[in-house]
Amino acid sequence: MLDVRQVSRSFGGVFAVRDVTLSVADGELRGIIGPNGAGKSTLFNLVSGHLQPDGGTVRYRGARLERRSPHRRARDGIAIVFQGARIFRRMTAVENVMVGAHGHTRCGFVAGALRLPGQHREERAIRDRAWEALEQVGLTAWAHREAESLPLGQQRQLQVARALCGEPRLLLLDEPASGLRAAEREALAALVAELHAGGLTMLLIEHDVGFVTRLADRVTVLDLGEVIAEGTPEEIGRDERVITAYLGDGAGGDRRA
Amino acid sequence: MNAPRMVGFVLGGLVAVAALLAPLVLSGSQLTIYVLLGTAAMVTVGVSLLMGYAGQVSLGQAAFYAIGGYTAGLMGVHGLPTVAGLVCAPLVAGLLAALVGIPIMRLRGHYLAFATLAFQLILLSVVGQLEVLGGDIGLQGIPRLGIGSAQLSNTQSYAWLTWAATALVLLIARNVITSRAGRGLRALATSEIAAESSGVPVARYKLAVFALSAAFAGLAGGIYAFFLGYIAPGSFPVLLSFEFVVMAVVGGLGTIWGPVVGAAVITVLVQVLNSLGTEPGMPPYASSVFSYAVYALLLVLTLLFLPRGLLPTATEWVRRALRGREPPAAGDRPAAAVPTGDASGSPAR
Ligand SMILES: Nc1ncnc2c1ncn2[C@@H]1O[C@H](COP(=O)(O)OP(=O)(O)OP(=O)(O)O)[C@@H](O)[C@H]1O
Ligand SMILES: [Mg+2]
Repeated sequence: MLDVRQVSRSFGGVFAVRDVTLSVADGELRGIIGPNGAGKSTLFNLVSGHLQPDGGTVRYRGARLERRSPHRRARDGIAIVFQGARIFRRMTAVENVMVGAHGHTRCGFVAGALRLPGQHREERAIRDRAWEALEQVGLTAWAHREAESLPLGQQRQLQVARALCGEPRLLLLDEPASGLRAAEREALAALVAELHAGGLTMLLIEHDVGFVTRLADRVTVLDLGEVIAEGTPEEIGRDERVITAYLGDGAGGDRRA
Repeated sequence: MNAPRMVGFVLGGLVAVAALLAPLVLSGSQLTIYVLLGTAAMVTVGVSLLMGYAGQVSLGQAAFYAIGGYTAGLMGVHGLPTVAGLVCAPLVAGLLAALVGIPIMRLRGHYLAFATLAFQLILLSVVGQLEVLGGDIGLQGIPRLGIGSAQLSNTQSYAWLTWAATALVLLIARNVITSRAGRGLRALATSEIAAESSGVPVARYKLAVFALSAAFAGLAGGIYAFFLGYIAPGSFPVLLSFEFVVMAVVGGLGTIWGPVVGAAVITVLVQVLNSLGTEPGMPPYASSVFSYAVYALLLVLTLLFLPRGLLPTATEWVRRALRGREPPAAGDRPAAAVPTGDASGSPAR
């Protein structure tokens, strides 16, 4: 599904991601962990297209991605949930989610302006899909509220719903559980597990190592922009380098500053 | 349909009907104001699309008004069918906007504002130099609009033409905004990155909305040219671009009808003050000072006291007055609104 090879990206001479090689199989749930500033979000941006690599290749379903714009990648099935709450202010929650369907729907300015036949049907399909996505994350009660007025945790869940509304093949989740209460976190874990069971390929960044190891098939550990370990959650838990670089003594602890 | 929307619908309908009947009773000079108000409203609807919905600034919208006017005027002067001129006015304005937009719409905020302003200044000076466009003296003797031998000769018929064109512009704006494309525009206004990663081709959408707003201005310019029969670079000063922005802000950015309200309020106020300024006993500069003062004062007052603009504020009053007699707005789908099973799920009222 995704094949990242020898990818590097630096900011002002400092490598944020360095020679990262990563291969994710169809239907795999890959966990990505690493301390603050390890380059996890940068890696996601290189896959979603918001950053260009300095070198290396990114292949998605066999084709090179580097020159493809982010909206093309979205159309081709790559969805991302950003680390911060990147929501559309001044739009309701359900409208936010509906934007997520943009990539795989067609009606443009002309069809909209002239209300061509088909635009109504497509619009209804988008709305239904958006409601489903809101149901999946448990936000239907907030549907008609302005997205901005939602608590931060709900804004993050809104991003998950928006990504799901795009019916992605590859879903990038950048710390989706941060800012959620315990019960919401559990609901999210259940949703991720359900999507995984449904065959969706996912990359999951989380600081909460327990959250990742519980869900992921395999885990990649980044430190200072480089991959320092990769393997099943059990293997990672035993890896000396990981323990010294990241996990420390109390494995599962949150090392956030 | 819930009560506030119903009220809006009825009010909008009443305004439309009143505006349609008004030319029957208005005097000649009042009809002129009517036409100018309508054309200003058309341009302002475009400004509102651009600024209020898509979050992009233009301080050069009068340039596209001018392009529409010159397109229609030039075609008319050269004996081409005037209807073709009226159709080409928005097309040429939209096309030119799409071209200059390729570099300009990459800019943001102040830079975009200055670039659009600069575009207008450059355009005006180029037009002033071009012999074919009549130079600084302008294009004169633009024929009246007509189909075959039937001509729109009286002011009343231009008022109705303006009404129809304004209605068309409002309808298109509303349709676009409430469609998938409009959602993309509103999305990119607050987060280009999230819009892009949701599949919205942000650069192309910005160009499209810029071109659409220019087309609205171009259509207004075409009507203006045929109505007055004479245009010159001086008819499209930079102040006019500011005026459109002020109208959009005063009426309420990010609304469909706000621009009409803003255009009406400002046009009428400026006219009233103009006639006050030309009363006997007033100094000769009074009327121009008045009109500048109106823009400035209205803009400041709106931003201070009604930051969302006249129309949204009024709508809010109506909504509040109706509350209590109306169950909370039901969803547009009868979904069981059951929050996730824990205490945090239910939205605060
Ligand atoms: N746009 C940018 N400009 C300059 N430096 C950047 C930029 N984006 C990231 N960096 C730097 O690259 C490094 C990696 O950042 P990145 O956000 O990818 O880390 P991360 O693993 O996601 O960290 P966190 O756990 O805090 O989210 C950091 O040192 C960061 O300061
Ligand atoms: Mg990060």
